[in-house]
Amino acid sequence: MSLVAGPGRGGATQATESVPLVMDKHIKYIQDLNERKDEYEYWLTEHLRLNGIYWGLTALHLLRHPDALPRAEVLDFVIDCMHENGGFGAAKGHDPHMLYTVSAVQVLATLDAFDEFNQQVGDGTNKVGHFISNLQVREGVDAGTFAGDEFGETDTRFLYGALNALSLLGMLPLVDVPLAVEHIQKCQNSDGAYGLRPGGESHAGQVFTCVGALAIAGRLDLVDRDRLGEWLSERQLPNGGLNGRPEKREDVCYSWWVLTSLAMIERLHWIDGQKLIDFILGCQDPDIGGISDRPGNMVDVFHTLFGIAGLSLLKHPGLEEVDPVYCMPKLVTSKFLTGTTTKS
Amino acid sequence: MASHDRPRVTAERTDKDLQREKRKIDEYRSLVERIETRVAEGGSEADVLDLTSDLLSRNPEYYTVWNHRRRLLLRYLEGGDTSNDASVDPNNKQASPQDYLLDDLRFLIPLLQQFPKCYWVWNYRLWILEQIERYLPRQQADSCWQRELDLVAKMLARDERNFHGWAYRRIIVDQLERLAQEAVHGEEGAGQGSRSQEEFDYTTKMIHSKLSNFSAWHYRSKLIPRILDEQEADDTARRKVLDDELDLIQNALIDPNDQSLWFYHQSLMYTIAPDCPRDSAIVLTLTNTDRVHYYEQEISRIREILEDWDDCKWVYQALLKYAAEYQTLDAGSKVYSNTDMRTWLSKLRQLDPLRSGRWDDLEKHLDLST
Ligand SMILES: [Zn+2]
Repeated sequence: MSLVAGPGRGGATQATESVPLVMDKHIKYIQDLNERKDEYEYWLTEHLRLNGIYWGLTALHLLRHPDALPRAEVLDFVIDCMHENGGFGAAKGHDPHMLYTVSAVQVLATLDAFDEFNQQVGDGTNKVGHFISNLQVREGVDAGTFAGDEFGETDTRFLYGALNALSLLGMLPLVDVPLAVEHIQKCQNSDGAYGLRPGGESHAGQVFTCVGALAIAGRLDLVDRDRLGEWLSERQLPNGGLNGRPEKREDVCYSWWVLTSLAMIERLHWIDGQKLIDFILGCQDPDIGGISDRPGNMVDVFHTLFGIAGLSLLKHPGLEEVDPVYCMPKLVTSKFLTGTTTKS
Repeated sequence: MASHDRPRVTAERTDKDLQREKRKIDEYRSLVERIETRVAEGGSEADVLDLTSDLLSRNPEYYTVWNHRRRLLLRYLEGGDTSNDASVDPNNKQASPQDYLLDDLRFLIPLLQQFPKCYWVWNYRLWILEQIERYLPRQQADSCWQRELDLVAKMLARDERNFHGWAYRRIIVDQLERLAQEAVHGEEGAGQGSRSQEEFDYTTKMIHSKLSNFSAWHYRSKLIPRILDEQEADDTARRKVLDDELDLIQNALIDPNDQSLWFYHQSLMYTIAPDCPRDSAIVLTLTNTDRVHYYEQEISRIREILEDWDDCKWVYQALLKYAAEYQTLDAGSKVYSNTDMRTWLSKLRQLDPLRSGRWDDLEKHLDLST
C-alpha cells in the first residue's frame, strides 16, 4: 500500500483563471498513487509510506469519500509497520520513529480501528502509548520535550506529535504535560512566534506544532495572540499564498500551518481568506488532480492534503470540516476527544 | 520530502525513458536488498558501510539506513564485532575507530551541500561528533567541534537563511562553550568560555553583507542580553547598547520595505516594555519617563521616514503599533494626535487591503472608529 510517489507526470501546466475545486480528479489522483511502482520516485519515497497513508486517507475523508481506499488493506499495511516496542516505522522493516507512530495513530483513529488493532496486536494501543511516553525527556535543559527515536534528536515536531497521538488514544496522563508546556514556552520569541528549540528563529511550521501542542494541553492562554497574530498575518503575500518565514516564497503547505495557527488563536480574519482560496485552487492540476506547492509545479499527496485542509478551514463548500489542531476530520477527532481539548 | 520547486512537465515518457527509469529502479532496489541481507547476516563494517554510503548518497532521507550505519559503528567502537579484523580493509591494514569516524565526517560534506534541508544528514553528523568525543582523544574531539563552525559558516555563506544551518550553528556554539567550561573547570565566573561576543560579531558581518536577513537579526536579539549579563555590564553600558542598536536599525531603515528590519526594531522596543522578561532585557533600570522618552524618540524618527516613503505600509503599521503601546504608558501629552492616527490607519487600509480584518480590530483597539 502506498500513497506516496514522486511527482511523476503532470497534467495541465497551469490551472487557468478561477478553476473550481476538481474533487473527482483529486480522489482519483490519490487512489492511483498506489499504482505507480514503475516510477523511481515511488521507491525513493519509501521512508514516507505511512505518512503518505495519513495524508491520502485524510484528504479523502475531507473530500467526503472516506471509503475510497480499501480499508482492510490500509489496516494491514499500518499493522505491518509496527515494532514489538510499540513504535511504527515508515514501512515494513523500517525503524520505529515518532513521526510514523503519530501517523499510524491518526490513521487508526480515522478508520475507527483501535479495537480491531487491539484484537490483532495484543495490548496494541498500550504498547504504542508507552513507546511515545518513553521518548519524553524528563530532565536537563531539554526537559519536557520529546525525542524522535532512541538516538535522541529532539524537536518541537515530536512534542506536538506525541500530544496529538496520546490524546487520541486517551493516554495523555502517561506524560508530564506541564513539563512539555514549560519547554514550549522556552521556544517562544519576542515576536510571539516559536522556534525549533529554545533560541531558535521563528518558523511557521514550529508555530503550528507549539500552538497545536498548547491547544491539546488546554494552555492557549499562554500564547501572546496579538503579537503572534501579527507575525502570522504578515506571511500572506500579494498573490494570496502564505510563506513560512519573512522573505520566503509562498507555499501551500506553509499556508496550512499559518492558517491553522491563526484559527487556533482566533485571528483567521487577519488575512484575506478568499485570496488564499484562489491561490490554493490555482495550485491544482486540473487534468490529473492533486495540488502542488505553487502554481505550475508538480503535485504530490502532501500538498494535496494541506491544500484541501486549508480550503476546508476556509469553509469552501463541499468539504468535510477539518479540526485545525489535528489536521483530521472534526467528525473523527470529536469521537475521541470528549470536548476537553479542541476548542478552536 | 514532498516535492518543492519542481515545474510541472506534461510530456509523456518514451519507451527509452521508461527503460532508463526501470534500470535505475532495479539498481536501487537491489542495493536496498543487499544492505538488508548483509545487516541481517551481521556482515562486517567496511563492507556494509560502503553499501550504505552508496545508498545514502542516492537517498539521504532513508533514515533506517542511517540507523544501520550508527549500529554498525557502535558495534565496532564498542569492540563487539568479531567478523572484521582482517576483512576490514582490502590491504589488510586495520582501520581504526579514528579512521571510521573522521571518514564519516568527510563523507557527509558533499551530502550536506547537495541536500542542505535534510534533517537526517545534520542529525547524523551531530551523532558522529558525539561519538568522536566519546571514543577519540580529547584534543582531537575539540578540534573536530571547532572545525564545524567553519563548515556551518560556509553553508550559511551559500544560503544565508538556511534554517538547519542556523540551528546547527547554535548547537555547535553550545558544545564549544561546554568544552571551554570543562577545560577551565573550577574557575568560576559568568560567561566563562562564552562565545557570545564572537557570535554577535558574526551577525554584524552577516547583516552588513545583506540587511534583509531575519535569521541574523533574530540571533542578534538573543545574544545581546546574554553578553550584557556575562560582562556584568553597568547601567551606562546597557543604555549605550540600546541606543547603539536603535541607531543601527534606524540607519538600516533608510529602505523601510524590508520586514526583517521592522521585526528587529520591534524586538528592541519589546525590551523597553514594563513586562519584558528579565532574560530578554537590555536596560534594567528603565523608569516610566525613560520609556516615554524612547517611544517619543522612535515615533518621531519613524515619522521622518514618511517624508521619503509615504507609500510604505510598514511605516504606518509601526507608527500605529507604537502609538498603541505608548498610550499604555501614561504619557502626559502625546506627540501625535487622533487625527494623525486616523490618517495613518486609512493609509494602511489603502496600502495593505489583505489584512483589513486586522486593521478593523486595530481601529477598535485604538478607539478610532467614529
Ligand atoms: Zn510545501
